[in-house]
Amino acid sequence: MLELSNIGKHYDVAGHRVAALSGIDLTLTRGSFTTIVGRSGCGKTTLLRILAGLASPDTGEVLSGGPAPRIGVVFQEARLMPWLKVAENIAFGLRKRVDRKTIDERVSAILDLTGLSAFRSAMPAQLSGGMAQRVALARALVMEPDLLLMDEPFAALDAFTRRSMQNELVSLWQARKPTIVFVTHDVEEAVVLGQTVIELSEGRVVGRQTVDIPYPRDPTGVEASLCRRAVLARLLTPATPDRMQTKPD
Amino acid sequence: MPFLMPVRDKIFGVLIAIGGCLTVWWAVSWAGLVSPFLLPPPVKVWRAFVALWSSGELLHHTWASAMRVGIGYGLAVSVAIPLAIVFSASGIVRVVAEPLLEFLRQIPPLALMPLLMLWLGIGEAQKIGIIILACFFPVFLGMRGGIAQADRKLIEVGKVCGLNRWEIIRRIVMPSALPALVVGLRISLGYSWRALVGAELIASSVGLGYLITDAQDLARTDIVLVGILVIGVVGLATDFLLKRLCARLAPWLAGDLEMARA
Repeated sequence: MLELSNIGKHYDVAGHRVAALSGIDLTLTRGSFTTIVGRSGCGKTTLLRILAGLASPDTGEVLSGGPAPRIGVVFQEARLMPWLKVAENIAFGLRKRVDRKTIDERVSAILDLTGLSAFRSAMPAQLSGGMAQRVALARALVMEPDLLLMDEPFAALDAFTRRSMQNELVSLWQARKPTIVFVTHDVEEAVVLGQTVIELSEGRVVGRQTVDIPYPRDPTGVEASLCRRAVLARLLTPATPDRMQTKPD
Repeated sequence: MPFLMPVRDKIFGVLIAIGGCLTVWWAVSWAGLVSPFLLPPPVKVWRAFVALWSSGELLHHTWASAMRVGIGYGLAVSVAIPLAIVFSASGIVRVVAEPLLEFLRQIPPLALMPLLMLWLGIGEAQKIGIIILACFFPVFLGMRGGIAQADRKLIEVGKVCGLNRWEIIRRIVMPSALPALVVGLRISLGYSWRALVGAELIASSVGLGYLITDAQDLARTDIVLVGILVIGVVGLATDFLLKRLCARLAPWLAGDLEMARA
């Protein structure tokens, strides 16, 4: 379990102190799939970077109920090392942790799981956007993370590839059950993927929606549509005066 | 994009360029527009080349120059790369040594020749010293620029994967710096051949630079032209070999290799 308590983060932009996050309280249970949704610049990425350890909060703390979780991150861009082949990119974080034989086994298994076996020796420049993002997902999964953080990983993909990747992600989560925090600005995506949807607006949590629909979810179904409308209604509610302007993420 | 041009088209383009130059050269000589003393006809230059090649003199001079370039370039590269890494990694080194290096960078290597002759004598060390000075900065600055431009997003991937600072430098920053380094290496190689002639101007008894200045003293412009053409051809050949080596060692740099022009 991971608990975020009163997380706050500010940035100095052109001499102004701008609040990116204020008073965020959040509990992530083991094996849960949480989506965080909100407009661009509402602090989603900042929150994810704090969870990943890439940024420190100005206030509050992140507490884990046990040993520090192994973290995997999938960014909005694939961020593959252009000088490494697909298999080497996937093994990038493993080289430090496990022996050569285990690396080979784990990389082969993840290549099979993500349907990338045929591209094992390809260079990143030879991959399509969807394929590159799949490699990035494989690179995160091969670390066998307890906590998988995903920052709008499918935002740059076309609708067909995005849907296919969403389905694959759900299958992988059901098979391995890591705790997933998935950031998106797409309400439909948030509802299709998450067990819980956290609504973020101007650096604050403005709502939570439990999505009790079995997987795989039909985004055009009645239940999903109702959830989407409820989330949208809360996100479209005008901001209260005490909310500060936030830094774009 | 030029690097996508088929090899056949490239060869055709080179042949057209060479053929065009030779034709203009021959026409200018044949029409008597320029004195044959100042610009001998292509045939005379070819005969001089054949004579120098047959006697082994040309190979002797070319080998001596190539050795100087090889040693000078190798030493410059082997000093510039580690120094650039140290400069990039250490703020203290940057603060202390950067002004001195920036000062040295402004001074043309040939301006230091009198001092180098006094310090290193008139032997090989002085000539190689000139080449080192000419080659050092493009490699040093290329490497530093490459390190500075390493993609922060890839470094974040390294952090997320739990790499420490040294591992991030070795596994992410250094490969990221390669494109800029390759540009520096190729520019340096070009500079090394340019500096060579200057280095061989004084107190030299062998080398292509010596061949050219000696021929000038003897009013043999045909031999001067042979020397110039050989330097150009050998320079092109070494640049081509370096490019091939980089393409083999780092195939993802195809575009960057074409960008660098010495």
